[in-house]
Amino acid sequence: MEEKLLKISEAAEILGVSIDTLRRWDESGKLTAIKKEGGTHRYYRGKDIEIFASNLLKFASDWISQGAEFPGTFYCPTSSAFQGRLVKMERMLMEKPGFEKLYSLIVLVAGEIGDNSFAHNLGKWPDTPGIFFGYDIQKGIIVLADRGLGILETLRRVRPDLSTHVKAVEVAFTEFLSGRAPEKRGNGLKLVREVVLANPIDLFFTSGDAEVHLKGDDKSFRVTRGPNVVRGCMAKINF
Amino acid sequence: MKVKLEKFGTTLISRELGSEAFKAFQSTLLELPPNEELEIDFSGVLTLSPSWADEFLSPLLERLDERLILLPSDNLSVQATLKILQEANKRQFKFR
Repeated sequence: MEEKLLKISEAAEILGVSIDTLRRWDESGKLTAIKKEGGTHRYYRGKDIEIFASNLLKFASDWISQGAEFPGTFYCPTSSAFQGRLVKMERMLMEKPGFEKLYSLIVLVAGEIGDNSFAHNLGKWPDTPGIFFGYDIQKGIIVLADRGLGILETLRRVRPDLSTHVKAVEVAFTEFLSGRAPEKRGNGLKLVREVVLANPIDLFFTSGDAEVHLKGDDKSFRVTRGPNVVRGCMAKINF
Repeated sequence: MKVKLEKFGTTLISRELGSEAFKAFQSTLLELPPNEELEIDFSGVLTLSPSWADEFLSPLLERLDERLILLPSDNLSVQATLKILQEANKRQFKFR
């Protein structure tokens, strides 16, 4: 049986981008369309769209490093849009076998990281406001990213002595303080670290050139200097 | 007086909404007689984050001190959040 092809408008609807964006992506080779013999109309295989949309980390990292467009379905322009999508993800996680109790810690980790982006960049976004928030519950992956100020610049407001991304990220994950003066307390990332260390949840977090890898059974918290300098923050959670 | 936190939502994540919840709660708090305890019931809450709780429970603890009573919860995010808040505030919550 011949597979039914999607029209460009249907593919645009699924991915949450404009038809023009899909045309551009086809011309650049980012997402190649199918043209029926002799025709000019663009069509897409459902499976190709699915595979294309599944590369969450690539979308997020291309966005924060080069400002590349990504499917609009992953974009949360406001904190309330994020909250709405987070609740939807929470429902799906609760139904995943084996996650009947653990779901709330995963939502907590994703929620804190996403909310931090909004809380610390409110009124200060350098260009695009909002965050990338993509997840695949079946595969057990959540990706969050923002093109905000990043941890170093945010924390420098209350800790002007901080000079490197590595030190700033270390402080963010280990010390009780907040970049939103005169707000005294910031405890979200501390709890994220504790929860990830004690549970079957892996975390990759990066801001500037600082990287945190918490992975596997024998996790220990350490901030290292990575090869790339990223804009804002990016996190990948695996479970 | 007993307050069910789920009245403010079941996914309590953002600092902004925690702060709004605390403001909305002021009128109820005024009705609390000076000698009465305020019990916080977490049942029905699916996820509680430290950011939300810091805006709601921390100022309540500061204002009510011993009169703030937390009811037990088997929700993992509630347990983890209360633990970190106690560390951050360097004060213990009173549990029933």
